[in-house]
Amino acid sequence: MLTPREIKSKEMIPPRLMVKMNIAGAFSLFKVLLTSLGTIKAMKAAKVETVYLQPTRPYTLPTSLPSDIPHATQKYLRLTLFCDSEAPLVHALAKQLGAGQKTPWEFAQAAFEFTKRNITLEVIPMDDVVPTLERGTGTCIHKISVFIALCRAAGIPGRYKFFALTMLDAWMEPAMTRAPLMKKWYDAMGLFLLHGEGEVYIDGKWIPADVGAEPTRQANSGMPITKLGEDSIGLWLFPIPGTMFRRESIPLGLGLPSRLLMDYLVPSSVVGINAGIMEQIRNGERIIREAGGEQAYDALARKKRRQQAPRADLQAHDSIVFENEK
Amino acid sequence: MQQPTFEEYIKSFNGYLQNYFPPKDAWTPADEAVYKPLDLYRIPLKEAEEMQLRSLKWTFNYQYTNNKMYQNFCKERNVSPSDIKTTDDLVKIPLIPDTFFKDYPTGRDFALWLGNIFTGTLPKIVIKQKNPTYDEVINAFNETGMVVSYSSGTSGRHTFIPRDRRTFEISEYTVAKGGIAMMYPLWDHSMDGMLLMPNPKRTNVYAGKVCTIYFDIIHDVQVAIDRDISTDLIRMTMSGEKGLKSSVVNYFVKRESAKMVDLIIRWLEKREKTDQKIALVGAPFILSVVMEKLQREGRSFDFGERGGVATGGGWKAFEGQRVPVVEFRRQVEKILGIPEKYCLDLYGMVEGNGWMTHCPEGHYLHMPYSYYKGLVLDNEYKPVGYGEWGRYAFLDAASYSYPGFVISGDRVRMLEHCPVCDRPGPVLEPEIKRAAGEDIRGCAEEVRRMLSADLSKEG
Repeated sequence: MLTPREIKSKEMIPPRLMVKMNIAGAFSLFKVLLTSLGTIKAMKAAKVETVYLQPTRPYTLPTSLPSDIPHATQKYLRLTLFCDSEAPLVHALAKQLGAGQKTPWEFAQAAFEFTKRNITLEVIPMDDVVPTLERGTGTCIHKISVFIALCRAAGIPGRYKFFALTMLDAWMEPAMTRAPLMKKWYDAMGLFLLHGEGEVYIDGKWIPADVGAEPTRQANSGMPITKLGEDSIGLWLFPIPGTMFRRESIPLGLGLPSRLLMDYLVPSSVVGINAGIMEQIRNGERIIREAGGEQAYDALARKKRRQQAPRADLQAHDSIVFENEK
Repeated sequence: MQQPTFEEYIKSFNGYLQNYFPPKDAWTPADEAVYKPLDLYRIPLKEAEEMQLRSLKWTFNYQYTNNKMYQNFCKERNVSPSDIKTTDDLVKIPLIPDTFFKDYPTGRDFALWLGNIFTGTLPKIVIKQKNPTYDEVINAFNETGMVVSYSSGTSGRHTFIPRDRRTFEISEYTVAKGGIAMMYPLWDHSMDGMLLMPNPKRTNVYAGKVCTIYFDIIHDVQVAIDRDISTDLIRMTMSGEKGLKSSVVNYFVKRESAKMVDLIIRWLEKREKTDQKIALVGAPFILSVVMEKLQREGRSFDFGERGGVATGGGWKAFEGQRVPVVEFRRQVEKILGIPEKYCLDLYGMVEGNGWMTHCPEGHYLHMPYSYYKGLVLDNEYKPVGYGEWGRYAFLDAASYSYPGFVISGDRVRMLEHCPVCDRPGPVLEPEIKRAAGEDIRGCAEEVRRMLSADLSKEG
């Protein structure tokens, strides 16, 4: 049972703006549902046409599980909501990935690559790291939790970075075409309410880790295959100004609403999105294959981006005066 | 009345725009390439090529010398002004993707971002707010005489471009000169104008802002959308947001939009009874809705050759239903009686100051090739030849206050010459598409989005 002290200490309260946006999002969703009864009926009728088979887990879980796991009490290393970093399975997997043998950077890289590549994106209600690992699928938040739990198990502090966002059409569209209600909701809101990235603390710096994007889906959208330390912000997602917040824990209040939404309110849309994601993955596999492998694809995609992107520094400018800072 | 010669026609046009001309002794090669030719689309190729090389060389050097960000970008690519000697070298000029102008921070950092992408000496900008909004930052810049304006995409992300007064005026001048030249001999200052765009004084949307010149070349202009248009409103409409705040906004927008259609029809009725020349300029979507209403009511006008329509992009008139440019022109002829030769579209973008204009003969998009070079790039961002589809990019010598060497998100096909008319320069085929993965965007797309939800219910 969570105590108010724990809730506060582990930063489980989302910022006011996010609470407000989520309430507005709920109203918006109900409005969309009420005005889309025809679409819902049509989707029910077409249910058989959308085939979605949950992908098989592409890795074997460790069988030898440790029993004497130390209990962490330090901030960013301890247990938080949906992130059971002290589960025997998590510790066994961390060990398998080199915990205790590799440097923090090397281990974080291994955990990053494992999560990014092996846990397939699936829109599914919130649950903990162990069922996610057993299943091999989860939302971006499930994936961040796996990454953070593995890092915490290896003694590397980890935290969440959340924000509301808009996305490139290329990233979003393939999954949304099979989910008209979700598309309508997105259009009504003009943004996605919640996405996140992981961050790990190594050598005095918080390092971003966007584990949510599988290499295949990045290839499907023409993006480079991002590595640990490379942010996806500005690449395929654009946070809504003022919505970004960093927390030790996933905020309270995500579990039940996500179950209600996905299992009861828009299950057909969820199936549609998941089928769309699988299609993105298949397309991405083909693109990588045609490019001559992942390395060749990535080099080409990076070359394109390098060719493209100047960097604008944000250094102080003599001619710009901020009156309130005098 | 006797028809003026083309020279008299353009001289008369220039006469009303003396404030737009920099002093002749201060002309740069880019100014010369813009202000000197009588017709930007009929310069002999050799002469235009020399002007183009001279002006682009000068502007590239200016950007390289006065913009640290762009200089670093060029250095990383081992390109410097000394590498640009001949026309063939122009393709070496490093191009910036249009997405760069969408990738900016918020609040006070946004002001610094604008300041650091600006080329030249920035006037003193005072930001009063602690955590300023985009509009507050833009307004602080614009109070100094600059014109920071923007366009948007379906992702709701704005493209911000910082123009100094000189760059803005050259952009305004070229858009007007292009349209006027192609509509010869229709224009005269005493005609009546209807601006199918937001009032330039009440918005920073570039599509509206660039129409400021309309008030200087036509004596009586009425504005169809005369209300404040903020970045927030555009974001809500472009991304389709419908929260509580936007519902309230939309309610008022809807009321105003219905009034606007009636206002335009009344304006047309009044002018039909006179022999006054008229010009409707702006978003085709608005005129499309007006014509639909007239058609439903079984009404039409016959303005004949005393009427002209100049549109700017935004051809996706209703969601999922594309109104082809050709069909639009036919409707204009049928409902308003304005001949197709006086119904022209202009293609440009917020990042550039070169406007491509339909020729009246074939409606191909002609480039102002004396100061502006269009390029078509393949998937590897290498230039391809004429006749091939690819991503559109351009080198714009008329861009002083930011590097106007840009890769766009549009897919186009460029031809060496117009297949229909005898203007010598290169053209784009009229059909412009968005490249895969790019947001839907266009000069008039914001306006269309802002109004479509309401106006489409008119039917």
